[in-house]
Amino acid sequence: MGLPFFKIHSLRFKLIASMISISLFIGFISMLIGVSFLYRSVVNEAGARVGQDLNVARVLYDRQIECVRLALELSASTPSLADALSSGNEAEAAGALNAVALKLNPDILGICDSQGRIIYRHTAEIQGNALNAAPNPLVVKALESQASAAGSLVMDNQELALENPELARFASIRVRENPEDAEAHPHEMTKALMVGAAAPVFSGGRLAGVIYGGFLLNKDTQIVDKIGETVFKNEKYKGRSIGTATIFYQNLRVATSVKDSSGNRAIGTFASEEVNSRVLGKGEKWTDRAKVLDEWYITAYEPLTDIMGRRVGMLYVGVLEAKYNDIRTRAISVFVKIILASAAIAIILGWLITRRIMAPVSHLIQASAEISRGNFTPDIGPISRDDIGQLQRKFLKMTTALKEREESQKAQSEIRLIQSEKQASVGKLAAGVAHEINNPLTAVLTFTHMILRRTDLPGEVRSDLETVASQTERVRRIVKSLLDFSRQSALTPESLDVNSLIQESVKLLENQALIKGVSLSFRGADDLPLFTLDHNQCQSVFINMIINALDATPSGGKISIQTRKASLENAKGVEIKITDTGTGIAPEHMDKLFDPFFTTKEVGKGTGLGLAVSAGIIQRHGGSISVHSKLGEGTVFTIWLPMADNPE
Amino acid sequence: MKILIVDDDPIIILSCRRILEAEGHELRVANTVDEGESFLVEESFDLMITDIKMPGADGFEMIRRAGKARPEMPVLVMTGYLMQETLDEGASLGVTDYIAKPFTPDELLRAIEGV
Ligand SMILES: Nc1ncnc2c1ncn2[C@@H]1O[C@H](COP(=O)(O)OP(=O)(O)OP(=O)(O)O)[C@@H](O)[C@H]1O
Ligand SMILES: [Mg+2]
Repeated sequence: MGLPFFKIHSLRFKLIASMISISLFIGFISMLIGVSFLYRSVVNEAGARVGQDLNVARVLYDRQIECVRLALELSASTPSLADALSSGNEAEAAGALNAVALKLNPDILGICDSQGRIIYRHTAEIQGNALNAAPNPLVVKALESQASAAGSLVMDNQELALENPELARFASIRVRENPEDAEAHPHEMTKALMVGAAAPVFSGGRLAGVIYGGFLLNKDTQIVDKIGETVFKNEKYKGRSIGTATIFYQNLRVATSVKDSSGNRAIGTFASEEVNSRVLGKGEKWTDRAKVLDEWYITAYEPLTDIMGRRVGMLYVGVLEAKYNDIRTRAISVFVKIILASAAIAIILGWLITRRIMAPVSHLIQASAEISRGNFTPDIGPISRDDIGQLQRKFLKMTTALKEREESQKAQSEIRLIQSEKQASVGKLAAGVAHEINNPLTAVLTFTHMILRRTDLPGEVRSDLETVASQTERVRRIVKSLLDFSRQSALTPESLDVNSLIQESVKLLENQALIKGVSLSFRGADDLPLFTLDHNQCQSVFINMIINALDATPSGGKISIQTRKASLENAKGVEIKITDTGTGIAPEHMDKLFDPFFTTKEVGKGTGLGLAVSAGIIQRHGGSISVHSKLGEGTVFTIWLPMADNPE
Repeated sequence: MKILIVDDDPIIILSCRRILEAEGHELRVANTVDEGESFLVEESFDLMITDIKMPGADGFEMIRRAGKARPEMPVLVMTGYLMQETLDEGASLGVTDYIAKPFTPDELLRAIEGV
């Protein structure tokens, strides 16, 4: 039992495993495609958004410049300032400037005269004319163009110190992380990145001076935080701002909302070399994922140019990639869950389906094991309605066929065994008895007949003696039959025409049939070859068959004999059919027909040895006898004899 | 006719004697093959009737010896059951005819007439 079950299960497991592996395979592929597609589209989307965010940041940055310009232009247009400047009243001019411009609260604020000499600084004393002769580029531009100028500019520490000594100290940035070319970047960066504006002041159509102002961007928080607020709505991800903004002087962060690991603004750290060369070196806009400090961001950079058109720094916004990675991880986890669920469903479905499929199959396997053990009515379970059902039906057909064959084989071999045993023992006994009886019988016959020869016997004695004689004759016949039956002599085969052999037998019995009023006909096939047969023995078979038929057929009946070529189990031969319209044979007698001494005939009429002897003879010829009979309708005896040249 | 009968069973001899003497035949009877042979050597017979199955030397041996002693003498074989083998061997020894036991007086006489 263990083996077939194991096999079934392994088949079942194979089916389930293939289902699972298919679902896992499809799931895995779709996960790979789906996740990477999703992620890429999200990242692309994020990249586009960051590009836009950078534009917004740029607008905010420019607005700061614009604010300064507007405030200064407004101050420049105050008549009191123009009057004070044209009249050289510096104190009054400063007062007029401050009244308007200080609302802006700039980091630097000052006034130049029309020659470019600085005549007022809001946050510093004027220290000698020599130093005053170095106005900043904004002023220079405003003087030259006689129009307001605004933009970014870089001031070195000394310049800034002149404007605002305190600011100059504040502006200095400690460089925290050395890039490869450490020499190029001193540890203390003292340059100041500024935004500012300068506006000319006219008095009666003549240039009376220039006012200027600006903001220091170093360590500034206002712009970058504003960007974070406006663009990213201060959105947090795991306690950190999602969006960050930075203003670079060259590639050094001077104002930023990027926090380092300890939570401080990452001022004084550098942008990556790649960004540096692409944005600062080539002046390109850059949008990609990039490492900012230790964190990956989806970033956008663009160069900042000063009012002279030199690239002096960069503007950056970036979004934490971790957020998008999270989307990826979430997507992956959703996919994995789906895959696992579908695998689980595949297992369950597989289990159910294979059970449906395999149950009948396993039944069949068990059933065939049963059959091999000799049980021809094994349980194959309910017949299913699919292809397996057909298999089951075929299987059932096969088992019934097997059963029938087995049974008939068994029955036949049993009959044959019993018959041959019976024949052998009866034959021996009969032969022995017959021989012993023959001599005394000779004496009885002799003396009875010798007495009967006498003419002087009284009538009564004669009739008694005649009875003795006739009964002795009967004994003689019985003994002869016994000896016929027991005769196991070898055949004396000769080449014979079966048809003429039968014709002879028919001739011998024609008169008997005529007397009984039974029609006896013979029709032989004309394509029969010669057969190798024992003439006398075969004739005794035919004669007995015909006599049996005659005995069974009442007057008016018919006996027909036919021969035809016929093969039996691939052996060529001849079939002889003796058909009568007689009484038929009772089914319960069928089994006994060929038994020696089985007869239904009156005592003295039949010894019951005819068919037993016939069967022996036909068997010794390698042939067979079969009977079909219907009680009240008739009987057909079929003798089959093999052709001599049959291949064994 | 002068007839020699060879059979080991006295009842057969008795039966034959009863039938044949009634017909006026002259009989010699022998219970064994040796006895039969000694008769054959001494005198000549018109016919020999012999059984086949006998203890010791059997009927075929008897016929063989008879063939030597009296080659022209016809031989009638009595046998319980006529089998092909008997017929074959008999033919090779020059048996004239056969008669199956048991027989009636008429059958025996007919067989003798036929010889
Ligand atoms: N054609 C037949 N129709 C009906 N019954 C038959 C036929 N042939 C044989 N039988 C039956 O089979 C029995 C046995 O037949 P079988 O030839 O062996 O013996 P028998 O004819 O009775 O005696 P025997 O042949 O020895 O004289 C017969 O007694 C008869 O009942
Ligand atoms: Mg019969």
